[in-house]
Amino acid sequence: MSALVTVWPAYLAEPAWGFVRVRMKPNPPEPSAEAAAATERAHFDAELLRRMGRSDREAFAQLYDRFSRPLFATALRVLGNATEAEDIVQDVFLALWEKAAAFDTTRGSAFAWAVTLTRNRAIDRVRMRKRRLEILATATTEDAGVQPADSGPDSADDLVAKEQAGAIRSAVAALPAEQQRAVELAFFSGLTQQEIAEKLREPLGTVKARIRRGLLRLRDTLGGRHD
Amino acid sequence: MIDELHEELASLYVLGLLEGDELARFEQRLAHDAALQRLVHDLRETTSQLAFTAPAAEPPPDLRARLLDRLDTAATWRAQRNLIAFRTPLWVAWAAAACLAIMCAWVGQLYVGSRFEAATLRDQQAVADFQLRSARNQLEAERIIANHQLSSMTEQLASLDRQLKAEGDLAKFKISTLVSLAGNTPQALAVAVWNPAKQEGVLTVEKLPALAADKDYQLWLVDPQYPIPVDGGVFTVDPATGEAHITFKANKPIKTVAKFAVSLERKGGVPKAEGPMVLLSQ
Repeated sequence: MSALVTVWPAYLAEPAWGFVRVRMKPNPPEPSAEAAAATERAHFDAELLRRMGRSDREAFAQLYDRFSRPLFATALRVLGNATEAEDIVQDVFLALWEKAAAFDTTRGSAFAWAVTLTRNRAIDRVRMRKRRLEILATATTEDAGVQPADSGPDSADDLVAKEQAGAIRSAVAALPAEQQRAVELAFFSGLTQQEIAEKLREPLGTVKARIRRGLLRLRDTLGGRHD
Repeated sequence: MIDELHEELASLYVLGLLEGDELARFEQRLAHDAALQRLVHDLRETTSQLAFTAPAAEPPPDLRARLLDRLDTAATWRAQRNLIAFRTPLWVAWAAAACLAIMCAWVGQLYVGSRFEAATLRDQQAVADFQLRSARNQLEAERIIANHQLSSMTEQLASLDRQLKAEGDLAKFKISTLVSLAGNTPQALAVAVWNPAKQEGVLTVEKLPALAADKDYQLWLVDPQYPIPVDGGVFTVDPATGEAHITFKANKPIKTVAKFAVSLERKGGVPKAEGPMVLLSQ
């Protein structure tokens, strides 16, 4: 196994973010084996959701351990406020608990579902509170959305998070700068197409094309399906 | 094969950037395009990985335990959280208190008013009950009077009926005028009326000659069913006026009175006419 795998904490002993390990490692193994592992992890997440649908609290705890960090980070990135991010994460996990029985694997992975819930709710809150300009001001300080890590001592979990974030950021960093910025704004800002174009001072068609090219390239870099 | 346009639309779709008609058209096509569905699936997975590009951040350490504690009462917890999120300013509380006080005063006033109204209504109801009882009594009295009047009228009708019947009977009466057959009593006149139902009659005479002490006038009824006249009784007249008014009966049942006759007989009468006939009906 690679060095990345050896530093994963116990709570990620089960298959976790396959795309991180499979696609972002500096020296990835055979793609087919990694893709199979990623699919296995997605199936494990789906199984956790199914158990949650049967009111299995242990499954909920495991899913929380697997999802809470990226979800909280996403909410915090969108909202720029830890209290609000915590509120969103609580809301999302309760929604997952309540709606787990209705989870449909054909519509995407459990993680994609959870991220979508988190992002949508965070963006809704941003729009509702009309704090868009304030959030944008924060976002523009880091065009690629990459901010310095916490300054405290690193735990095993911190190392994993950093590794994961670093791997993804590497993929994003491989994009042309204009695509990076367009994708980041599209994902974290909650702006409309037109607002993104105005923010970037580019024609709308150009912005759309950058988003398209950026996502397709990330897809090719990070891998395909996880179900 | 998916063209660039639909790749672009798929990219915007997974990021939630499609709106309105553009979104509707895309979802319509997506529902029937398996390749497009696969692309959307892959792009959704890809965009979800962007969550890791956010700066690393740890949720509060106690969040996990709190969530586990609240799983069983998620709905209650959400409701409480919503209440906290919508915490109201102080002036709203004062305004609510003022509204409550006004409402209490209004309700109290309504209560007092309603009690007075209820008492008034009770009085009105008592008066109405009394009026109703009076009306019932009056109706009862009128009913009794009406019954009495009805009985009286029924009786009157019965009487009238009897009277009419009696008047009907009059048609059956035999009324005859008797005239003198003797030259010595040319002015003598008599009227006889016979009621066949009662088998009796009335005889009124005028200007008949006074009788000797040993004599009587005797009335005879001629009924064809009998070979000789039937005795109707004897009578005398007022010596001064020659008048008499008597009620008589036949000594045999009479079916038809063909004639009335008056003869002069010895005192007390005879079973068969012997003396002279002084009056005979026409």
